[in-house]
Amino acid sequence: MSLLVVNNLKKIYTTRFGGNQVMALSNVTFSVEEGEYVAIMGESGSGKTTLLNILASLDKPTSGEVLLNGQSFNQIKESGLSAFRRQHLGFVFQDFNLLDNFSIRDNIFLPLVLAGKHYEAMNEKLMPIAKKLEIMDILDKFPYEVSGGQKQRAAVARALITDPKIVLADEPTGALDSKATDHLLHLFSKINNEGQTILMVTHSTRAASHAKRILFIKDGEVYHQLYRGGMSQDTLHQKISETLSVLTSEGGSHE
Amino acid sequence: MNSRFYLGLARDNIKKNARLFTPFILMNIGIVSLFFIMHTISRNPGLSTMSGGDSLKIILGFGNAVIGIFSTIFIFYTNSFLMKRRKKEMGLYNILGMEKKHLAVMLFIETFMISVLSIAIGVLIGSVFSKLMYMVLLKLLGFTGTFSFVIPMASILMTFFLFGCIFMAAASYNTWHIHLSRPIELIRGGNVGEREPKTKWLMTLVGVISLGAGYGIAVTVSNPLQAITMFFVAVILVMIGTYALFTAGSIALLKFLRSRKSFYYQSSHFISVSGMIYRMKQNAVGLANICILSTAVLVTLSTTVSLYLGLEESLDNQYPLDVVMYSHDNTSDPSSDIAGYVASVADEVGVKTMDAFGFSSVSTLAKRYSNGYEPISDGNFNDSNTLIIFVPVADLNQVIDSPIALAVDEVALFNTSGNLDLKTLTLGDQTFDVVREVETFGNFNQVDNPMFKELYVFVKDMAAIEEVYKTFTNEEFRGFDYQYMFDLEVPSPEFEKAIRSGLVNEPHITYMGSKAGMRENFFSTYGGFLFLGVFLGTLFMLATVMIIYYKQISEGFDDQSRFDIMQKVGLSKREIKRSIKSQIVMVFFLPLITAMIHIAFAFPVITKLLALFSFTNTALFILCTAVTLLVFAIIYFAVYNMTARAYYKIVNS
Repeated sequence: MSLLVVNNLKKIYTTRFGGNQVMALSNVTFSVEEGEYVAIMGESGSGKTTLLNILASLDKPTSGEVLLNGQSFNQIKESGLSAFRRQHLGFVFQDFNLLDNFSIRDNIFLPLVLAGKHYEAMNEKLMPIAKKLEIMDILDKFPYEVSGGQKQRAAVARALITDPKIVLADEPTGALDSKATDHLLHLFSKINNEGQTILMVTHSTRAASHAKRILFIKDGEVYHQLYRGGMSQDTLHQKISETLSVLTSEGGSHE
Repeated sequence: MNSRFYLGLARDNIKKNARLFTPFILMNIGIVSLFFIMHTISRNPGLSTMSGGDSLKIILGFGNAVIGIFSTIFIFYTNSFLMKRRKKEMGLYNILGMEKKHLAVMLFIETFMISVLSIAIGVLIGSVFSKLMYMVLLKLLGFTGTFSFVIPMASILMTFFLFGCIFMAAASYNTWHIHLSRPIELIRGGNVGEREPKTKWLMTLVGVISLGAGYGIAVTVSNPLQAITMFFVAVILVMIGTYALFTAGSIALLKFLRSRKSFYYQSSHFISVSGMIYRMKQNAVGLANICILSTAVLVTLSTTVSLYLGLEESLDNQYPLDVVMYSHDNTSDPSSDIAGYVASVADEVGVKTMDAFGFSSVSTLAKRYSNGYEPISDGNFNDSNTLIIFVPVADLNQVIDSPIALAVDEVALFNTSGNLDLKTLTLGDQTFDVVREVETFGNFNQVDNPMFKELYVFVKDMAAIEEVYKTFTNEEFRGFDYQYMFDLEVPSPEFEKAIRSGLVNEPHITYMGSKAGMRENFFSTYGGFLFLGVFLGTLFMLATVMIIYYKQISEGFDDQSRFDIMQKVGLSKREIKRSIKSQIVMVFFLPLITAMIHIAFAFPVITKLLALFSFTNTALFILCTAVTLLVFAIIYFAVYNMTARAYYKIVNS
């Protein structure tokens, strides 16, 4: 059984006064196996963010369903959603979303504290992750004192510390320079090789070329997918670029 | 760019920022009308013809100055807050191509529009209410009859001038502020990464010490005259303490809590402790302001209301009978002439006196120890000293049913603060048998005055008093005082006038006081105080409301993004709301609670200050304070609730 199953997702936004309807997702179906590293690509406005918000249980689909480990999101009560998010999902955002008033350590602890864990237990969990992500020396600093790359690694640590079933990353390299981007993508691959399932939304070809599978979304549907297979990163990069140019040149054909 | 463009731009800006500007304009209107009303009343010609009008004029003039000063502070405070919030807007204009000088012109025009609007409406409202307020004042002063009321041109001019200056100064400040900043800073606005505040131990220590010292003084001060100066010292110390503890102490405490891991890493404490550190850093000064202002409102209102309501009682304390006169004679018995003089004047005017009561006395300050008193030479009136008044027993016998006969070594006692229950009384080296203690002496009753302790010692006769006095004080005897008091059958200002004007021919009569005269004096003073108290109370209240409102709004903007992040990380909306609510409640009720603690500690010293005004009804003062507190708390809570809604609107958007 797949870890994450997405069945016929549809999302229609209605503008405030009930006038225009905007179809953000028309029909999205795919699944993610345990241990996969999937990138979802698409142009701005293709519905990537809507999809991710639904996968994150921050938003509800108009129709269709999402199953994680066989459990449908639709069956979880509103009141249990936060706890569900906390226990099963890890998030990495483009703009880090660290809280200014917490030290890096406390930012990483946040989900565990909310789950009622003790300090010693949390610290024990933190140490190997912090070592792996090379943030040991900045644990007691505050977000405004560290670089963007360090902030993003701290955010990754926060996502990993709850042992989530899946890490959802929304443009994780969007606010990073190329060096920090490489470093982060390298870490993502490393984490994935250790068995962590990752789903990343991006429009950076470079970021996507690190994934094992790439889904292309266009006009609210899965348009195409690429498997890495035995391809080298450069070849994959090449392939992605080609697919993207086909995607854009065919603009409007799916109306 | 032409002037019409600027006008339109300024008008649009004000409209667009209605959420920020509306309360500002309302506050300005309130302040302007308060100032205007106070000014018209204090300049009213009717005041000079009123008895006690001079002291009233001084009080109202003082009120004018205070309102003027606080208006300036409040307008500047609010204005700078508005500017901070509008940084981003300014940055945008700047980047879109408006130069700083254009921004300056725009800001000046905005301020100009706001000030004209505020001042004009303020003066208008002030004009409508000033006559009403004037009547209220006259009513408070116990004044009946008609007085014409005009609105002096000077008041209108003065109001326009003063507030025009304040607003122009505020506009200049804004321009200067814009001039100093770079557009990119402006665009970022308030969103520059907020730094974690440092723990300021020294300041915390200063805060603890000054607050402790202030409280200590307030609680221990015993001397009523000293109480005046010490009260101000205590006020300053408590203010310093409040500011220091709100700014540094709160952060030191929160950081201490954070360092205790088992406490800090609990889901209910984790977010609130770190959130509070951040909040206190930004809001400490504003909250300390609210606290100080609240305390000021409470003290001003509770004391002025108490004084006013307790006026008759204070009067009775000072004047048991309608008229009191003193004479002093160091050669013979001074009692002879004073009664004769009063009788002759009464005959002349045609009034009848009654319940006349007089006694000779000589007094000295002493200090109490177990069952006796020791003389003190340079003591002051305070609650550890007692004024001993020697009176010949014959003067007591004229007002009691069963006369007392005393031997040389015997005394009778009347202690004003309650019976002493002594068998023998030791005065220095002399010991007397106490034959009897009386509970009243003529029109003097036992009252619990915390400040003035008086012990009347009745001795065999005047010759004996002379001996006792000399041995006790080791000083030369300088003759007897004679105190004479009486009631009038009907109040008669003519009589009082006549008796006062005749005093020039009666050199041994040293003092004459009348209850009626004093009442007018009290009314004009206390009524004036009360009027001023209500005015200042309203002004401070306005400022408090304003600060709370703007604090809520800025909190809202700051919390918006944090609210978002926490939700993404896995906090439910309800949990977030609960945590934020508890922090907000803590932030806004901290000043009120602190103000109440201040009031509690100020209580002893204020009671002593009130005693200086012959106000000894502690129960009434407690009641007034409690009612004021209650009313204030209700208003505070209502304002909080209203502004909290504005806060949630911002956070949820």
